Amino acid sequence: MRVLAIHPEKCTGCLRCELACSYVQTGEFQPAKSVIRVSPFEGHTSYAPYTCTQCAEGWCMTACPVGAITINAAGAKDVLDDRCVGCKLCTIACPYGTMFYDPGTRKAFKCNLCGGAPACAEACPTAAITYEETWTGDWLGDFAHERTARILEIR
Amino acid sequence: MAQRHLIIGGGTAGINAIRTIREEERERSEIALVAAERPYSRMVLPYYLDRSIAESHVYTATPRVLADWGVTSRIGRRATALDTQAGVCTLDDGTTLEYDDCLIATGSSAVRAPVPGADGRAVHSFWTLEEARAVLAGIRPRSHVVLVGAGFIAFTILNSILSLGARLTIVEVAPRILPRMIDDTGAGLVARWLADHGVTVRTGVTLTRIEDAKGGKRLVFASGAPLACDLVIMATGITTNLEWLQGSGVGVNRGVVVDEHLRSSVPSVYAAGDVAEGRDRISGEAAVHAIEPTAQEHGRVAGANMAGKDVRYRGSVLINIVEVCHLDVASFGAWDDPKAEAASGLMADRPAYRKLLWRGDRLTGAIILGPSSDIWTTNDVGMLKGLVQSGVALGRFKAHLMAQPFDVKPAFIASRTTSRLLDETILGRPAKAPGDTPVAV
Repeated sequence: MRVLAIHPEKCTGCLRCELACSYVQTGEFQPAKSVIRVSPFEGHTSYAPYTCTQCAEGWCMTACPVGAITINAAGAKDVLDDRCVGCKLCTIACPYGTMFYDPGTRKAFKCNLCGGAPACAEACPTAAITYEETWTGDWLGDFAHERTARILEIR
Repeated sequence: MAQRHLIIGGGTAGINAIRTIREEERERSEIALVAAERPYSRMVLPYYLDRSIAESHVYTATPRVLADWGVTSRIGRRATALDTQAGVCTLDDGTTLEYDDCLIATGSSAVRAPVPGADGRAVHSFWTLEEARAVLAGIRPRSHVVLVGAGFIAFTILNSILSLGARLTIVEVAPRILPRMIDDTGAGLVARWLADHGVTVRTGVTLTRIEDAKGGKRLVFASGAPLACDLVIMATGITTNLEWLQGSGVGVNRGVVVDEHLRSSVPSVYAAGDVAEGRDRISGEAAVHAIEPTAQEHGRVAGANMAGKDVRYRGSVLINIVEVCHLDVASFGAWDDPKAEAASGLMADRPAYRKLLWRGDRLTGAIILGPSSDIWTTNDVGMLKGLVQSGVALGRFKAHLMAQPFDVKPAFIASRTTSRLLDETILGRPAKAPGDTPVAV
């Protein structure tokens, strides 16, 4: 399936992905409600976006007690708002920290690949986020390991 | 002749086992379900209680779904005896069912404090759908509700009671609230938060009896003033539904003892969920984890093995979350391990608390408490679960997390936790979406 491939060395930290994501997902430019989130590394000298990998287990989906998380046409795990009761079980079942809860709507929310046209990839000006047919992976691990380790050494 | 599977119990474990048998089997088998109630999710009853969902929303496998799955249902019946030699289960109407293998998924039941008046009028448990209906019918706006017990179950319905416009008092025999879910510091923060939100908490009080009073109820304690109210909810613990297995030859300790295949001491008998004593993934020891995610994982693993697969379960991680008036409170794994090395952090300006527990450079337990509206609260609950579940070696990031327990994300990512987790599935294959289970043709 097509997945969001993250190329952290290309990220400039501009946060356009967060703005685009929140706009498409909620209708508002509200990075706090984005499901892709840019983290700083090495004392804000480098950045990388982090989001759901659409993992094979789908811990959120299997944990949901009412079957409110399903797989959409793009192959993404997707929350059905009219089924979700807001119990938050998915937020503690997801071991990646990519399941969110909106206290306003009392619903869980997550990356659903915008149904097959991810706004973050579209908005990224440096192609740090691409939507392509590839295996999903740990896109940030090596990048973050190197940069975070350097900072720990300086301290 | 087709293999005959018998599923005893229609809760999360039983229904997940049925789904998984249908997903995994090579030849169509016969499946019979014995369930005391129509299958529903106990987890969502608090949302039925606060009227945010209709009763129809709580059902997990409707008669239509069970028919689609080709399940012969005996709803409203309880198993009373298991003859494991003959492969026969006796039900409470005297009828019998033969099986080739069976799953014990009979769950647990609510227990009331053993005091006079505990079974009286306007005294309820909140465990089954029927009890939820009774509580909902009994609460009026401005009713004074007393919750007896300040454990996890009580806290799951706290918001619902308040949202119905009721006044709430919690009484607890222990010196503090949430004794089996968070530590003293966390409990103190939640207690102060509750006081700020108009909920009265009385800890360290021993209930001696419940009386009828003019138009309501009166709770009498070993010491201190009695308490008048309109409705009492007993959340004083649960007990494992094991007694019917006496004489069956199935090995029982605190629950039905199961191996990594969820198989009991009798090879044709499996057990799953609240009734099973399986492996705690963190400690490696036998444990009963009476929580929804364990029931779901147990049920799926048992179902796969009953369908002829060889699926080994690595053990369950204890995870709990409850929201208390927009304050998220969660704990993971061995959060109360007295031998663990611990570091904690408390924010001065808001009710935000973390405790991280370590064995060597691996995170084995965590407590997290913070406002639901703080992004990092929900962001970090999952990552803490991932660190505990994966047991990833944090190496030099341990010192960073000990010093800065609120800065979880860089350590999670830089320790390559994602790559450790990506290959892991419960059944050794991608999970299917709800509704993608094969149905009878």
